[in-house]
Amino acid sequence: MSTKFSDDMIVCRCEEVTVADIKNAIREGAKDIVGVKRRTRAGMGLCQGRTCEKLVQQILVSELSITPKDAGTSSARPPVRPVTFGELAKGEVE
Amino acid sequence: MMSKDFDVVVIGAGAIGTSVAYHLCEAGYHTALLERGDIASGSSSHCDAVALICDKLPGIDTKMGQASIDYFGELAAKFEYDFEYDPKGCLYICETEPEFEAASEYCKKQNADGYKLRMVDQAELCQMEPHIAKDLRGALYTPPSGSIAVSPYKLCFAFVHEAAKLGLETYTYCDITKINLHPKTNAVESLETNYGTIRTKRIVNCAGAWAPFVGKLTGLNIPIEPRKGTNLVSEQTERLCFHKILEYGYMMSKFDSINFKRNVSPLVEEQNIAFNLEYTPSNNLLVGGNRLFRSYDIRSEVETLKAICERAMRFYPELADIKCIRAYSGVRPFVVDHLPIVSDVDSIPGYYIAAGHEGDGICFSPITGRFMTQIISSKETDFDISKLDFARFAS
Repeated sequence: MSTKFSDDMIVCRCEEVTVADIKNAIREGAKDIVGVKRRTRAGMGLCQGRTCEKLVQQILVSELSITPKDAGTSSARPPVRPVTFGELAKGEVE
Repeated sequence: MMSKDFDVVVIGAGAIGTSVAYHLCEAGYHTALLERGDIASGSSSHCDAVALICDKLPGIDTKMGQASIDYFGELAAKFEYDFEYDPKGCLYICETEPEFEAASEYCKKQNADGYKLRMVDQAELCQMEPHIAKDLRGALYTPPSGSIAVSPYKLCFAFVHEAAKLGLETYTYCDITKINLHPKTNAVESLETNYGTIRTKRIVNCAGAWAPFVGKLTGLNIPIEPRKGTNLVSEQTERLCFHKILEYGYMMSKFDSINFKRNVSPLVEEQNIAFNLEYTPSNNLLVGGNRLFRSYDIRSEVETLKAICERAMRFYPELADIKCIRAYSGVRPFVVDHLPIVSDVDSIPGYYIAAGHEGDGICFSPITGRFMTQIISSKETDFDISKLDFARFAS
């Protein structure tokens, strides 16, 4: 699937991470979504990977010949959507 | 399957193991680094980013901290891999007069040992931190010479990257099923792994909060417990703070021996919250934190998040309108006397431990790598670290 992507295509818009950056992280030893994230910041931005995670997964699957399940997902952490610290202090996490 | 020989096998690729592996390679040892998951997948990617002297007790704790902070500067200049070394000062906020007095006492002790800390009053604090609450008593200031930040997981990648140039072989997703000892001498002989048998006469257990599990493979009881900490990440913002910020109560949460009562809500009290705040190179804020014993469970707890936010807004009211995008928790390797174990093991020749740094693993990473290499080389360590000996738990 990733053969359709050009290397300069931006995958993670929040952190401006390209296909080439992700392939490079995989060459450096990343084997899953979290490994790519720590090496490139893909998924660390405002949307927390909602947009790019599936694309990163496809690149991993294609580069490493693994299943989407092996590529994993990023760890689910609250809050579900961005909320202010003021709201969070009142326990509004959803 | 391989069958390989190494001079030393390091177990655990966090801030301690990667540093130990790097320093061993630098000293000419043929070294393997084994890691159960990915590099920096444990505590070193679930923590914050600072190395300080002002969160250490006077004495060896501070001495090691300062030596390591100085050494970070050298490594940052030498390494090709950028680990986001950022010398920034630290302010230990004193909310009340009793905290200011306690911090002043601490400051005096550290000054007597030659460390350049100083107290700042309310007016100066508000000047240094324009967004901080205006009714705080003052702060203990540590200049950048004793307070820096680094990216903890990039530090691990940096050590591995630099050590690879010196011949390090890294095996991630490695399961160690057995450690074989000599039947008569009890000395280290080999390890059985999913990569095959690895022969070596020396292993270094750098598995942090998981060091006890590695210890059990050879019947060693390593008294390290996981202690949970939680941080929140903000959206990218204008710079709200200009230093590493901690409340003096952090000392209390770290060292239960320091005894004073803060004027905080029951929730903040029961969650053992100590406010800390830092900006990052990506312009996110990290807001923390607390310490709780929850075994290895690192799921976020809503009550903890509420309590951290409540406490944080006491010091930086503008946080109320800034968005939080993520919360994460991790475990720190807790040792009851708050000192790490950096030592050989009398009962097993060739077995070494560098673990148990609790919240100081990042700070102590470089110096621990150097000490462990000196111990393995039978050289004198830079200074006396007999207090870090594993034998202190013998009785």
